[in-house]
Amino acid sequence: MGQFMHINRRQSLGLLGGAAFGALILPGSLMAQGARRSITIAVQKISNNNTLDNWHEQSNVGERVFYPNFWEGLIGRNWMGDQGPVPELATEWKRLDDKTIEFKLRQGVKFHNGDEMTAEDVAFSFSDERLFGGTEPVGGTTIYAEDFKPNTDKELPASVPGTARRLWPALRGVEIVDRYTVRFHNATPDVTLEGRFYAGGPQITSKRAWDEAKTYAEWARSPVTTGAYKVEEFKPDVSLTLVAHDEHWAGRPPLERIRFIEVPEVASRVNGLLSGEYDFACDLPPDQIGTIANTAGLEVQSSTIWNHRVSVFNTQNEIMADPLVRRAMTHAIDRNAIVEALWAGQTVVPKGLQFDSYAASNMLIEDWTVPEFNPELARDLLKQANYKGDAIPYFLLNNYYTNQTATGQVLTEMWQQAGINVEIQMKENWSQIFAGEGERGLRDWSASNLVNDPVTPMVNQFGPNGQAQQNLEYSNAELNQMSVVLETSTDHETRRKAFRRMLEIAEREDPVYTLLHQNAVFTGMKSELNWKAAPAFAMDFRRDNWNV
Amino acid sequence: MLNHILIRLVRAFLTLMLVMTFAFLVLRLSGDPAIILLGPDAPQDAINAFRERWGLNDPLWKQYLAYIAQVLTLDFGVSMRDQVPALELVMSRIPATLAITVPALILKVAIGIPAGVYAALHRQSIADRGVITLSIFGFTVPSFVLGLILVLIFAVTLGWLPSGGQDSWRHAILPIATLSVGGIGIMARFSRSAMIEVLGQPYIRTAMAKGLSWRDVVWKHALPNAAVPIVTLLGFMVGSLIAGAAVVESIFSWPGVGRLIVTSVANRDLAVVQSLLLVIACSMIVANFLVDLAYGLLDPRLRSKRAAH
Repeated sequence: MGQFMHINRRQSLGLLGGAAFGALILPGSLMAQGARRSITIAVQKISNNNTLDNWHEQSNVGERVFYPNFWEGLIGRNWMGDQGPVPELATEWKRLDDKTIEFKLRQGVKFHNGDEMTAEDVAFSFSDERLFGGTEPVGGTTIYAEDFKPNTDKELPASVPGTARRLWPALRGVEIVDRYTVRFHNATPDVTLEGRFYAGGPQITSKRAWDEAKTYAEWARSPVTTGAYKVEEFKPDVSLTLVAHDEHWAGRPPLERIRFIEVPEVASRVNGLLSGEYDFACDLPPDQIGTIANTAGLEVQSSTIWNHRVSVFNTQNEIMADPLVRRAMTHAIDRNAIVEALWAGQTVVPKGLQFDSYAASNMLIEDWTVPEFNPELARDLLKQANYKGDAIPYFLLNNYYTNQTATGQVLTEMWQQAGINVEIQMKENWSQIFAGEGERGLRDWSASNLVNDPVTPMVNQFGPNGQAQQNLEYSNAELNQMSVVLETSTDHETRRKAFRRMLEIAEREDPVYTLLHQNAVFTGMKSELNWKAAPAFAMDFRRDNWNV
Repeated sequence: MLNHILIRLVRAFLTLMLVMTFAFLVLRLSGDPAIILLGPDAPQDAINAFRERWGLNDPLWKQYLAYIAQVLTLDFGVSMRDQVPALELVMSRIPATLAITVPALILKVAIGIPAGVYAALHRQSIADRGVITLSIFGFTVPSFVLGLILVLIFAVTLGWLPSGGQDSWRHAILPIATLSVGGIGIMARFSRSAMIEVLGQPYIRTAMAKGLSWRDVVWKHALPNAAVPIVTLLGFMVGSLIAGAAVVESIFSWPGVGRLIVTSVANRDLAVVQSLLLVIACSMIVANFLVDLAYGLLDPRLRSKRAAH
């Protein structure tokens, strides 16, 4: 890499004179130490909340800067492989019963501050002080809380305990068995516990670093973790520089520095890549693929991610209350045409609200598909519903999701072709989307696989406690019964049957959503780097994925 | 004079309160910060806790009164997004913005005024037509187009300058150029018109009839009189030093006040938006005040009128 020059506030003021430009150049420090390379990555956003706390920043952009280089958990995700679980900070784990898991911690793991990671850090990472803020687990009471009296008066962001309880609704506490052994106690039986450990959030932080920080904000701008790279400098809304943590348990990281630069405009990210300033340009829309792919020395990596685009029906709307109309809408969509026209064929139409990675636990319903594209059937269903052509409002955000507006327009035309009169109403934000209770006919959403089990997204997004039902957009008694089965049963075949039934209800009989396609991300990069993108927002810069 | 200043201060205060009330209502009625900031996937418990923490469950009038009471005690609140004092956040961004807007203003004045005056003094010449053509180009090309063109030429094609960021003084060149081109055009057109009008006045003929040199006529009689409308324009430009670079800052990833305006409005981060409005309004008020003072210095007639009042 070339030279990095830094400008601070006083120097910014120095620019005022115009003529004093020369005085602003600080002595550049050559980054290359040893043979390692440093890289620069242009992203649209580094962190929505301007923190590096993975519980507070539960977003796609957060996933990119956090995993797997910075935050590490007991169980890791096999980012470059089958997306299944792999040992990370724990070397092994076993079920003691259907509510308890015991972990053997990896010994000799060093935090960025030089401390060794022990069971106390793990227990702290799941404590009231760090996470749960005094909230009680479903079906039980908190245990071991008295072991963790806060040393400082830090105010957790208001949203963190709620977010933590979504992933760990019934976690009672963490028992320290010895320095390298911990037990997680759940209040209810849960077959998905292991999957929850490699979701975003339950990674491990240093207790001492937390105690030493004066405020939550101070800690959250530079959390101390065990990751292969540590925070060197975080300038909110500007840049994040990670530097190699040479004491990392897996060995010396391959890069000296990773610098994420926030470049909000697509054109600016592309220009920076073309001019050679950036090694990677992220968050590219599909229409930029050609520009970059046709430039010598550059290429585009595309990855489908654990997230599906859906449109959610609102049964509070009089017309949408009739499942026949909703069914007609699901059959009027040519999903492959959308994938070809708007995504250049770079993503796929999945097997309903499922992810291929469910196969690892034999929960993938192989023979399931999205509703077939059949305008004739759609027209027939409308006739049965006695639909008179009244307008159905479609609340739409301006490209919150990639290609969202264009997809909305295409969908509207497809529905029009089948005789369904859908009218787009553009909205500015999510609050406005949720405001039109009885008026809104449908709106967009995306559905994420959080714990690599059908409970996410089917149950957590469309079940009785999911946002769709909580917002009164939909309800179905049988689907809700099946949600309980999927969440609490420990019998594999029973769960599999329940999930199939939920797909039948949610996508065919009484649709709550219609699935459009899997989401994908596109990353422009210098071909010489020989780097591979994971099927995720996360960018893996660990030893196994760096060959230059 | 004291009365004049007091009246202006009261008027400025009322303007400020009106602007802040308007912003409060528009921001609060057009979206719930809890859903906007936490996103569509946030659990309901998290949204409820966020609303509770920031008092968003209170009736609107109660939130408004609480906010005004807070502002009147010079407490501008905490950013819901960054959890740091809002005014501190705004002030931290000002140096970066001024680092590109002030040099741009200097260029606007240093190039725009001489070009306009020269064109007026050489009316109908090739130079005059050249200045008119270039100035029309300058203020008609939108900054987002010009910025991208400059990046394509100087960063992508020639590789002379960086395309964005704030790492060194070289990163400031293209944003400053983009910001100044439009202003230079406007300043040149305005200066030219002002000079042409003044050069047609009887006192210029009188001065020439007295036998003054052309140089003295221009420097002592024409320029001071033409300066009054130019100073008015300059006042607008000074007033927009803090808030006038939002588009350019976005194109060049320059982390100044403009980008903060965009993100804080989008996130309905009210304390930050209100602090921004306050700072921007204050800069406008100070600029207007300076323009007023400059009028008095430039035009003795205005001085004597105020004295008479």
